[in-house]
Amino acid sequence: MNSPSDIIISAQQIARQVPALDKSGARKAIDNNLHILNGVDLEIKSGETVAILGASGSGKSTLLGLLAGLDLANSGNITLAGVQLNELDEDGRAEIRSRHVGFVFQSFQLLPNLTALENVMLPLELKADATAEAQANSFLHRVGLGERLYHYPRQLSGGEQQRVAIARAFVSRPAIVFADEPTGNLDQETGRQIIELLLEINQELQTTLVIVTHDEQLAAQCQRRLLLENGRIRENTK
Amino acid sequence: MNQLRLAWRLLKRDWHVGELRILLSALIIAVASMTSISLFTHRIDLAMNDQSGRFLGADLLLTSPRAIASAITDHAAQLRLNISRGMAFSSVTVANEQFQLAHIKAVDTHYPLRGSVKISRVLYGEDIELDHGPAVGEVWPTARLLQQLQLKPGDTIELGEASFTVTAVLKHDPGQASSGMSIAPRLMMHIDDIEKTGIIQPGSRVSYQQLFAGDYQRRQQFEQWLTPRLNATEKLIGGRQGSPALNSAISKAEQYLSLASMLSVMLAGIAIAMAANRYSLRHFDQTALMRSMGATQGQLVQLYIYQLLYLGTLAGLLGCLLGYLAQQGIILLLADLLPPELPPASYLPLITGFISGQVTLFGFSLPAILRLKSVSPLRVLRRDLTPLPASAITIYGLALASLVAIMWWQSKNIMLTLIVLAGTLLSVLMLGIVSSLLMYISRHLVRRFTGPWRSGMQQLIRHRKANQLQMLAFGLSLMVLLTVLLLRIDLLNRWQAQLPEQAPNHFVINIQPYQVAGVSDFLKQQEISTEGLYPMVRGRITEINHQPVTDIDHAQEDEALKRELNLSWTSAIQTNNKLVAGRWWQPEDEGQYLISLEQGLAQRLGVDLFDEISFQIAEQKLTAQVISLRSVQWDSFQPNFFVIFPPASIDSFPGSFITSFYLPQQHKHKINKLLKQYPGLTVIEIDAVMEQVKAILTQVTLTVEYVMLFVLFAGLMVLLAAIQTSMDERIHTAVIMRTLGAQSAYLKKTQLVEFCMLGLFSGLLAAAGTELIAYGLYRQVFDFEFSLHIWLWLLGPAASMAIILFTGWLSTRRISHHPPAQVLNA
Repeated sequence: MNSPSDIIISAQQIARQVPALDKSGARKAIDNNLHILNGVDLEIKSGETVAILGASGSGKSTLLGLLAGLDLANSGNITLAGVQLNELDEDGRAEIRSRHVGFVFQSFQLLPNLTALENVMLPLELKADATAEAQANSFLHRVGLGERLYHYPRQLSGGEQQRVAIARAFVSRPAIVFADEPTGNLDQETGRQIIELLLEINQELQTTLVIVTHDEQLAAQCQRRLLLENGRIRENTK
Repeated sequence: MNQLRLAWRLLKRDWHVGELRILLSALIIAVASMTSISLFTHRIDLAMNDQSGRFLGADLLLTSPRAIASAITDHAAQLRLNISRGMAFSSVTVANEQFQLAHIKAVDTHYPLRGSVKISRVLYGEDIELDHGPAVGEVWPTARLLQQLQLKPGDTIELGEASFTVTAVLKHDPGQASSGMSIAPRLMMHIDDIEKTGIIQPGSRVSYQQLFAGDYQRRQQFEQWLTPRLNATEKLIGGRQGSPALNSAISKAEQYLSLASMLSVMLAGIAIAMAANRYSLRHFDQTALMRSMGATQGQLVQLYIYQLLYLGTLAGLLGCLLGYLAQQGIILLLADLLPPELPPASYLPLITGFISGQVTLFGFSLPAILRLKSVSPLRVLRRDLTPLPASAITIYGLALASLVAIMWWQSKNIMLTLIVLAGTLLSVLMLGIVSSLLMYISRHLVRRFTGPWRSGMQQLIRHRKANQLQMLAFGLSLMVLLTVLLLRIDLLNRWQAQLPEQAPNHFVINIQPYQVAGVSDFLKQQEISTEGLYPMVRGRITEINHQPVTDIDHAQEDEALKRELNLSWTSAIQTNNKLVAGRWWQPEDEGQYLISLEQGLAQRLGVDLFDEISFQIAEQKLTAQVISLRSVQWDSFQPNFFVIFPPASIDSFPGSFITSFYLPQQHKHKINKLLKQYPGLTVIEIDAVMEQVKAILTQVTLTVEYVMLFVLFAGLMVLLAAIQTSMDERIHTAVIMRTLGAQSAYLKKTQLVEFCMLGLFSGLLAAAGTELIAYGLYRQVFDFEFSLHIWLWLLGPAASMAIILFTGWLSTRRISHHPPAQVLNA
């Protein structure tokens, strides 16, 4: 287990821009870029719960993608679990994700043709873990879906689908879980239950949790709150 | 190992939702259609060899001027082949104080081993089919011999020192072709009666015949054993060598069947490509998710390739099984038409089908599947991130390469493969351009419509790319179907038209130059029409480019060099001949030693234009230069020649004339009249051989129609796959429209309009594509004149609209049953 003082993610001066589009949707000239992130610096310690807040379109999801190694910054350095991401190729980053990272998404991202159990087994199966089924089973019981193992996503409510997604994010015991608007598709009450579950499991497993959200309630329950504005990040301590 | 297991598990899980079922079904149908067509054509091919064996009255015929060694029959008996012994010779028959030379065929009690003998009990009476020849003491002469001798059944005929009772009129001898073009009228008798006639003396010209029949493998075994043991005078004739005319008919049938097989491969490819594309599109999310979980590109490629391998193996095995059953089914259906015992197919078509299935699967699906490799893991956050499709060169190049490989492998005819492909590519290109144009027009016309028409056309336009792709698929499959239909209707008609009802059924030879005018007049008087009388001088090829033919390795075994050829001369090229190289005679060529050579013989002898060939004609040797090569339609039943000279070159040599004409059965007596007037003439009756050729053609036509059913079935699968591809989107659109208040009837009409337009456009394009292919095939392969087919332009769109409407209605009728909430919440 990491000690709380260890830095698990650090980002220095990261910038991300995309070519701006004109009215017709065609890309404009190279120098006419849309700067989404513009010199972001941050450090996240192991075991911390961090909320990244910001208005719609402020670049929260882009930042999450960069921190998780799903995308590459145009400039700056990101270190995840001690490894410089921009020095790795895509397969190298995949290896890091496989060992250290879990995800929870706003739209759940469950595979519709897999049962709840099979969805949770997937990350373990990719690592050829022989105990995939037992672990997935146990995690689904943990999130209160012991009776729903063989249900397909379409047979589950939104809240239940997100519980499956949480089980899937934690089942491989990652050091860090990224959650992208995890309550965005849920009603308030269900959202509240999901936050509780997420934080509970996070606490149990001592995982680092990075949540991108615009939900103040959710953010209030995290140890740190970061505000993304004009492509830069600002610390909002509780 | 883990990856293999994971791939299998993922495949199994996908199976529950059913998206893989389309791919698997398409592939099973692909393999099944390839295998069944291939198995069926393979067995029909073997059967046709058997059928042509009936021209011999057996599968194999061994002829020899001397009695055949018992070792040969012993070995055949060991292999449990059926054996029949026979003799053929010419002899004078006597009755009513009239003499007539007859061709005698003596057979044992086992004759015929294949086919049946046809007789009638009275002159021109009804046919009776028998599986045996005459009994001891009986003879069966043909109608002509009976007429010449003024006999009727029940009378007595003398043959050498013995006399026999005529018990029937011989109408058809299944082994007729084996005796060669017999000059005299025929008579069949029992071989045990030969001795008492005292005709056969040492030195008599007799053809001893041994006939063999049995199952395919034993026959092959026997043939392999016997061939190296034959001496120079012994000849083993297998099925096909029995009749050159038949050989040509079978080759055409094979070309036709392999064409049908090729078309089904192409259709299957389209269905697989569409299903694979859908599979790939549906797996973007899964792939992105697995990548976000840390799966590497290599791991994913491996996973998907393993899945393809599983699918390929499963579909290959099931397809082979289904193909085998389907082929058995067809054979059951055709039991009355096919020979009672079809030779068993070898495993080769199954292996070919299986491998072709894998090549089709990978060739058509790999680019789509490999596209998954480049799915960005960021897609889990941004659904709009779609991987770039593989480059057009990769997609089409791979598909095309695998198609060429399979088609070539299956058809063994690169020319046919390339023509079908070129036609397809051209029509795809044309289809692309024209469908864009049609879309453009529709976009401008749509404003003039209202209600469901407008909505349906808007659907068509809105999904322009998808619909153009569907048009391409519909158009192509329909084009394939129309091509088969066109070939069935047009090609077989033309082909059978080459053997019209009144195709010549008699040859007259030995017409002396001084008799030409008289014979012509006689034929005119009797209202018998001929293509003309052709001169014939007999000569043997002795040297090629001054090298004796006995020294030319590749040529010395050629039949044409072992016997005298009929050399002819004409001023104009015969109507059923076609100049393929060089030039025809100019007036100044007359009297020169120049020749036009049949191209097949030229190829076999390795002779080219301007080479010199020396002939021995009577006692004289002459050398002539080849200045043209001709293709000859041997199955036209017109007199045809390997070698033709210009006029006034060899007419000083002693020679005779030949002609051929059609004479119905009831006018046979005219032949006797002719022979009475010109006793030296020889008449050859070939109507019986013709009957057999026609029977084979009928059988082939039926076979082809059944093969077409497979192509039709494969085509329908493409249609279903295409509709399935757009199903999710259709359901989604319908649900949204219903949510906005559209009635079911409105939605249905909208769908109908869209399918109608899709059908119309596809049909028009298919008709155009078919004409293109027909043009290529007619000109290059089948050697027919090409003209546009109006009915194609009517039938194409009509059939296309009907099929698409029906299939579309069948597949989309459940759309209105989807509760909007369920779809919108998904």
